[in-house]
Amino acid sequence: MKKILSYFLRFILYLILIAPLLLFIAYGFSTRWFFPAPFPTEWTTSTFDRALNDSRTLTGLRDGLTIAVIVSLLSLALALPAARAMGLRQFKGRQLAWLLLFLPTVVPPLAIGMGLNILFLQLGLAGTIFGVVLAHLIPTLPYTIFTLSSAFARYDENFEHQALALGASPLQIFVNVTLRMMTPSLVVATLFAFLISWSQYLLTLLIGGGKIITLPILLFAAASGGNPSTIGNQSLLFVLPPVLVIAFTARELMRHGEDIREQY
Amino acid sequence: MKKIVYLLVTLSLLLAACASPAQPTGEFDLNNWDSVLSAAKGQTVNWYIWGGSDSINAYVDNFYGKALKERYDITLNRVPLADTVDAVNQVLSEKQAGTDPGSVDLIWINGENFFTLKQADMLYKDWAQTIPNAKLVDWENPAINLDFGNPVDNQESPWSSAQFQFVYDSARMSADELPRSYAELKDWACANPGRFTYIAPGPGGFLGTRFAKGALYEVSGDARQWLNFDQALWDQHSPALWDYFNEMKPCLWRNGETYPKDESELVNLFANNEVDLSMTNDITGAGRWIADGRMPETARAFVFDNYMIGDFNYVAIPLNAPNKAAALVLANLLLEPEFQAAQILPENGFGLGYAIDVTRVTDPAALSALETAASKLGDAATPASDLAKSLVGDSAAEYQGVLEQDWLTFVLQK
Repeated sequence: MKKILSYFLRFILYLILIAPLLLFIAYGFSTRWFFPAPFPTEWTTSTFDRALNDSRTLTGLRDGLTIAVIVSLLSLALALPAARAMGLRQFKGRQLAWLLLFLPTVVPPLAIGMGLNILFLQLGLAGTIFGVVLAHLIPTLPYTIFTLSSAFARYDENFEHQALALGASPLQIFVNVTLRMMTPSLVVATLFAFLISWSQYLLTLLIGGGKIITLPILLFAAASGGNPSTIGNQSLLFVLPPVLVIAFTARELMRHGEDIREQY
Repeated sequence: MKKIVYLLVTLSLLLAACASPAQPTGEFDLNNWDSVLSAAKGQTVNWYIWGGSDSINAYVDNFYGKALKERYDITLNRVPLADTVDAVNQVLSEKQAGTDPGSVDLIWINGENFFTLKQADMLYKDWAQTIPNAKLVDWENPAINLDFGNPVDNQESPWSSAQFQFVYDSARMSADELPRSYAELKDWACANPGRFTYIAPGPGGFLGTRFAKGALYEVSGDARQWLNFDQALWDQHSPALWDYFNEMKPCLWRNGETYPKDESELVNLFANNEVDLSMTNDITGAGRWIADGRMPETARAFVFDNYMIGDFNYVAIPLNAPNKAAALVLANLLLEPEFQAAQILPENGFGLGYAIDVTRVTDPAALSALETAASKLGDAATPASDLAKSLVGDSAAEYQGVLEQDWLTFVLQK
């Protein structure tokens, strides 16, 4: 009985997770689906063909991915030292440092974006991939730092000391001890950064100034027209990369979890 | 660790290098069109345009994009916007930062945004009546030389025209059941409770504001008196307008407690059989909505006998546009009789009317193309004679804000 209940609950959970995707598929591949028809009556791939034949879709996919990958790597590199200090050290002004690092999550991105756009225009960074990457670091860094610092709080520096005593170089220690022990948290932090950057609309729009087109820009433009077919297929294109990335990292994390279990 | 820092520095330098350098502005003399054409050659025109309609996007790419490339060696970069105000904000930010050349070459602009940029002195001047096809435009017509009550002042060029209309589904209703005035509409709505609603007047609910202005014209009995702003006139007639809406309110969809916020929401209610009437601004009536798959193929447009507001829409060039020559060529191309004829055909997906005055076209082939196109608006359009009979102009810009604000107070919140 308990088993049936657990299967049932699991089924409901999967259904909740997958229902929006099914709806996107139903809308994305049909047209003129009006009430009271329970299922689409006219199936078509025409909106999909149109999206794929529009060079903006592929550019948006490419630029969005490029930006998201660079942002994930950069925010990791920037967050790692900060998180280490916050997680392992006690120092004066630590609370203030936390506040500063978390400020971007409470200040509305519109307020940041408008001012930043003017500054970036003066610096010649607006409308460039690099400018958009820098702007995306604002919302991604708090999350990567928080994820990594909580991992560092559970981190035992004595492993590093031991490696040092055994004659390892600082680089060897960093690669073979620090990075290795931090891998699961690093993966999760990168994933956060990737997802936040990938779904940025406002900062990309403001800093990109129309020169940098990513999928969210296309998705928002389509959504403003309210055509369910277009929104459906744009949404499918939009969720595809994150779903693939999550599926991949989930597998890696599970494998890694088994590695750790074997060690102990 | 040092290596990583080096790597990052190199990476950021590389990225900064990848950023495309600003294109030099080609020199040209506006009075010498050949010099404009040669300056525009090889340029990319960045057209910031609302991107919410698949069929309009496709029309812009397929018609103007192709012609610009083939005839003038200009690349069209259509930048899809969720809201035109985004392009305006970009130009204003560039002004504040002192960026010239900026990034926006041409904007499909509405009256409010035009006014904002004009006030900020960020529009390219003295060009709209100089481009070759400006001679096809009736610049004496106040509906053209005033945009939303503001003088156009040679700072924007018309693209197309529009007129307010209603849409019904011929599979659900027959043409003789249709109301033909605001008074009849109220009776019809109360005879069919819950089957009518209108778009909330306000920002984004532009068609709703237009619907309400038409009602104002009818209850006051005259459209022309609203051309100039007069507070006393407003105070005299607005109570009757709110009475009209409040009497209609209990008969509306959801008893008038909530209203669709834009055209798209009303179209969805209509298509999903929740209400029986929708609204449109297109000269092809329901044609574009049918082409977009948003309305059943049996949708048809119709008008009342009077007070159906029509106007023109425009494109403008920012003062700091990086490719002004190419923007001028594109603005001129929009008025080319060949493309004016193409834009009103429902199968091409744009659906708005002529900006040019057809009687000024001298080339017989172009003239006959325009006349043929006008006769092929399709079944989903309102007959041209009905449109012409009911056409009235918009009111002074000041009424817009007053009407939207008072509607909230006296109708929605009542």
